[in-house]
Amino acid sequence: MARSSGTPSDFNIVQTYRRLLAEDEELTMPVAAIEALIEGLANTPASTVSETLDLVQKLTAQLKQRIPNSISLSAGTDLFQQYLISNLQRPSDRGDFDQIRTHLVQNGKLFVERAKAARETIAGFGRHFIRDGDVVLTNGGSRVVGSLLRSAAESSNNRGSIRFKVIYVISPNKTAEEDESTANIAALRERDIPVATIPSTAVAYCIDQVTQCFVGAEGVVENGGIVSRMGTYQIGMLAKAAGRPFYVVSESHKFVRLYPINQHDLGIEQDVVDFKTSKGSVKDDGAADVRGGDDEGVADVEGTERSGTKGAISAPHEAVDYTPPHLISGIITESGVLLPSAVSEELIKIWF
Amino acid sequence: MPAATVGQTPSLTTFLKSLKTSSVESSIELLASLLKRRQIKNSRQCALATAQLLRRVVGAERIKDPQKLIDRIRDVGRRLVAAQPREMAVGNIVRRVLGVVREVVEEQLGDDGSGSSGPSTPTSPTSRAPKRPMISHTFSSFTPLSHGAAMPYDMHPRPGTPGSSSPSGVDRLADATAAARRPGLATSASYASIAPTNASLLSFLEHPLGRSPGATPPATSSPRMTPVQSSMELNKEKIDIKAEVIDGIKDLLDELEVVDSQIAESALDHIHSNETILTHTSSQTVQKFLATAARKRKFTVIHAEAYPNDHEATHATILNGGKKSTGDDDEVDDRWKPLTALGITVIMIPDTAVFALMSRINKVILAPHTVLANGSLLAAAGASTIALAAQAHRVPVVVLSGVYKLSPVYPFDTQELIEYGDPGKVVPFEEGEFMDKVDVVNPVYDWVDAELVSLYVTNLGGCAPSFLYRIVADHYRMEDVDLGAKSG
Amino acid sequence: MSETTPDHDPPRVNEQKLTPAELKKRAKAEKQARRAAQKDQKPEEEGPPPAAEPANGINGESKTPQKNSSAPQQQQQQQQKPKAEKQQKAQQQKPGKQGAQEAEPHHKRTGSQQMPLRRRPSQSGAQPKAPVKTKKDNKQVELFSHLYTQPRRHTIEGVSKDVHPAVLALGFQISSYEICGSSARCVAMLLAFKEAIQEYTTPVGTSLARHLTSHYLSPQIDFLKSCRPISESMGNAIRWLKKLIVEIDPSTPEQEAKDELCERIDTFIRERITVTDQAIAASACQQIKNGSVVLTYAKSSIVEKTILEAHAKGTQFRVIVVDSRPLLEGKRQATTLMHAGLEVEYVPFSGIPHAVKHATVVLLGAHSMLSNGCLQSRIGTAAVAMHATKRDIPVIVCCESVKFSGKVALDSIVLNEVAPAEELLLPSKPTPSRPAPKDSSEDEAEAKPKTLEDWKDIPHLQLLNLMYDVTPAEYVRMVICEYGSLPPSSVPVVHRLANEGM
Repeated sequence: MARSSGTPSDFNIVQTYRRLLAEDEELTMPVAAIEALIEGLANTPASTVSETLDLVQKLTAQLKQRIPNSISLSAGTDLFQQYLISNLQRPSDRGDFDQIRTHLVQNGKLFVERAKAARETIAGFGRHFIRDGDVVLTNGGSRVVGSLLRSAAESSNNRGSIRFKVIYVISPNKTAEEDESTANIAALRERDIPVATIPSTAVAYCIDQVTQCFVGAEGVVENGGIVSRMGTYQIGMLAKAAGRPFYVVSESHKFVRLYPINQHDLGIEQDVVDFKTSKGSVKDDGAADVRGGDDEGVADVEGTERSGTKGAISAPHEAVDYTPPHLISGIITESGVLLPSAVSEELIKIWF
Repeated sequence: MPAATVGQTPSLTTFLKSLKTSSVESSIELLASLLKRRQIKNSRQCALATAQLLRRVVGAERIKDPQKLIDRIRDVGRRLVAAQPREMAVGNIVRRVLGVVREVVEEQLGDDGSGSSGPSTPTSPTSRAPKRPMISHTFSSFTPLSHGAAMPYDMHPRPGTPGSSSPSGVDRLADATAAARRPGLATSASYASIAPTNASLLSFLEHPLGRSPGATPPATSSPRMTPVQSSMELNKEKIDIKAEVIDGIKDLLDELEVVDSQIAESALDHIHSNETILTHTSSQTVQKFLATAARKRKFTVIHAEAYPNDHEATHATILNGGKKSTGDDDEVDDRWKPLTALGITVIMIPDTAVFALMSRINKVILAPHTVLANGSLLAAAGASTIALAAQAHRVPVVVLSGVYKLSPVYPFDTQELIEYGDPGKVVPFEEGEFMDKVDVVNPVYDWVDAELVSLYVTNLGGCAPSFLYRIVADHYRMEDVDLGAKSG
Repeated sequence: MSETTPDHDPPRVNEQKLTPAELKKRAKAEKQARRAAQKDQKPEEEGPPPAAEPANGINGESKTPQKNSSAPQQQQQQQQKPKAEKQQKAQQQKPGKQGAQEAEPHHKRTGSQQMPLRRRPSQSGAQPKAPVKTKKDNKQVELFSHLYTQPRRHTIEGVSKDVHPAVLALGFQISSYEICGSSARCVAMLLAFKEAIQEYTTPVGTSLARHLTSHYLSPQIDFLKSCRPISESMGNAIRWLKKLIVEIDPSTPEQEAKDELCERIDTFIRERITVTDQAIAASACQQIKNGSVVLTYAKSSIVEKTILEAHAKGTQFRVIVVDSRPLLEGKRQATTLMHAGLEVEYVPFSGIPHAVKHATVVLLGAHSMLSNGCLQSRIGTAAVAMHATKRDIPVIVCCESVKFSGKVALDSIVLNEVAPAEELLLPSKPTPSRPAPKDSSEDEAEAKPKTLEDWKDIPHLQLLNLMYDVTPAEYVRMVICEYGSLPPSSVPVVHRLANEGM
């Protein structure tokens, strides 16, 4: 499955994926991955079921290999693959291969629409969750959390009496996500919602004022835990310690069949803990020393050499951590509020 | 007792009597006002009254269009719920009756569709049938998945309890036959708790609107009722829908009747010799549970009295068992002997002593007022102190709850669910100055977080709080969760 | 504790030789005490019948109203029994009354025939457990059997002649909760001791330092213990007093020594309690800020003082008082605060989750601070502190160092006090509907389903009425005493410093 084995055409899945994300900033990674795969499918004249599946598998592998943090997008690719498998390999009387292919190729936009609609549905739940006098803590960067808060703010304006405040945890790094946060904050402030911004180091300090926390997720994993931007885990722990509800806001297409047993089992490489001496980073064979468990995970999942194609994530703002399910009060999806325990069943259902 | 100017104190018994004679509309009014004035309260009585009323409503309806029936029930449900939003059992029963109707309708459709007009099995909401009418699946390419989804449904609804199965064997049979008859039709079980939606993650990639309105993307927030309606117009009155629905309601009533005995069946699994059990307030379910265990084992019960709202009932329960002194409720409430008569040592304590004694207690047994979809519960005030103290001492908390207390409502705001009672129970009104100047607050219920509960024992068996979402999904139709929503 | 001896003590010698003068004196003191005790007519004061009956015997002839009021007491225990039997019993007890006047033996016999009552060993009428009692099933909760050493004394019967009238009166005030609270009891005890000491004369051939403690104070203390187990502060004060007496130079003239003692007692009260309370209140009221919501439980004089002081300073805050059955002490506190013009919310014990939702600080009084940092206080305190801790609301204990104890406890089982179970019977219910004297005759016919008053006749039913519970140290954020604000872990430090002079 090496890169060189080549896709038939010049189609570059990674570029497509990046382009899609760049073109539409509302797009989530799983959906972008699905879109990219569909484009790949459209660009490639695969005519049999097995060829198609092969192609999708290849493209997926490429994508996962090249994108440093593949957790979120793999939710999309997995979903797509599973959809194809379940539909194409069935002894079909009606679900004819061409039909499905056409359906997919023609309806790329539809999926994007659905994803956005899902987000809107979730946002609509905001007003149920946010009550008068609440102080909401969020770590930003998540579009869906942003829209949830905005919708709550709007409904609060309509209802008049509901006032809430927001504490936004922002990281000092200037990144795209922070721009997102900035936009959200501005939008909220415009709607007369008071927003405080704090560095992630101040969460423990102010957790006693907080009534509930909302965080986004890159992926919701098998056991109901989440993989999310670095710092989410500690917010979860602090919220738990203070007895505050900790809600994850995520579209259900971010559910991913991954089961991390700890932070180092995410299947991606992150150089967050970087030991250094005056001679520089202790890195040569250091990665194994520093995060022993990680290597196996990477090897198993990706089948790729460690420091080759795929650069390890070292910038803290790109890094993710894993928040275990016992810290999560509920996962707000477009289909309602799920307990973490319900995630597994959902994933089981699409796989079997 | 406010406004009890009727010759007889209004109660469940009087309501049930009047139900036989008065008109449907006045019965609805009566129940709504009884609920409003708390003359019928506690989950069981509310559930019974609602089920009986709905039986009457369905009986009086001339059913041409099942959708009309559904609308009618929803409407009645809305009125009852509005009268007393905190008695969740009312809404639960309404939803389950709606489920019965939908099921009957779908079954008929199913029979129709598959051409096999099998004997119409009496159904109850416990038997799960397709969420969506079959039509939505004729094209949908998800049948294999649906097969898969049907599997957990068959296994899950009664987690590991062959002993205490569904209320009647018929239901299980209905289950089995329903599944067997139309294997391809059983859809994936949906799980969500507040919004109508599709179930499977794959629906994301599903075919667009096409022929199946039922498979619309989850974003649509209107309940999917059109399929029922439109399809029903095609085949009217094949089976006697009314009789079927009434049968279903009867099953529901049967379930309410046997629910305590079913829960009590597992008593010996939970109570062992020489244990010290702590319980709280007066609950028929708990008393029966303990009494069942008492037949075989000797243990000690420590009973907190739940002052100031329920202590009198608690005392009565401890002293006299289940015989109500008024003699009024005998028809509805079974009689049972007090535990002391069974040789069980009962130690009555004020609620304050709960923490002090918790270190010597082996198990806490609670009866909730309502169980919410996320596994948390509402119970008589004092329950949260007990549950917290139990957690502090690592004592397991077992909650006994009939499925009818299980509400699909997600507790967005637990504060809102808590009812405040008569402050006169705390401070007698004679103490005018005190009442005037001091704000006397008397919460009737406590909200107990799911993480404080070790185990739920329902009439379907035991389950962890984390699994309740599934039982909720098994009993309520997504489209009925929000009774207030305008039907499509 | 001196009353661990079994019930089968022989009657004490001094009881046998009561002089008429002594009897008279005793009767007078008892009358005084009883009048006080019955002022507020709580059901919990209702002594066990045998105790009440002879009490009437002493001055019953002259005081009929008292006799009447003792009727419901009797009735409570005997409700189930036919009236005839009851009357018969009453007659049987008549000799007992006389017996009480002559000397105890006669009464003792009657009592043992009928009465399901245990007698305190140090009392004159040390009787074997009554047969009726043993025949019935045990009404004592086994887990707490170590705490049922004796029923609370509410009567004069069998009290040592040495007990000073002031102490006698105090004993009944304590057993009826008229004087309640660790500090209040301690102060009252010391004041009574002062009176007693003034009336003391050293017998010839011995010195005050040697005789006073063992022969004069001990009976007083024993009597107080028989009325209600003494509190930690009382224990500390007694220990201090004994040490003081021992240290008195034998050459000091008696009156001078007594004056010296009384002066020192006054100083003790002032320094260890009165001034201390002010200091603690001044320090604790800084924890109350504008906009605070102060949660308190039951009643604590020092918390009350703190709140009033903060209010006097002009701080804007409100108070939530959580209260519990059966003592309803919080209501008195809420009333006081209400009269002071504070905004008060009153919540029953079941409403704690509601109360902690709004509270910003929890102020608690203490019965005693234990050496492992645990707080021993009115039962229910632990639950309040637990809820507050769960919500991260600071729990602050205000406690004079005189209440600090060298004891340790892990749970509320070992160190505790079992109050009479009758206190749990619902007082409000019967009183409005039927006046107390009447119901002795009418009640039996009227009540068909059993009521809680019948609890003694229902086999396997027990009522448990504990006085205290132990709050784990982890629920206590801060202890404010006169040595400043401390973490609970510093309790033993202060205890050694303040109570053991180390």
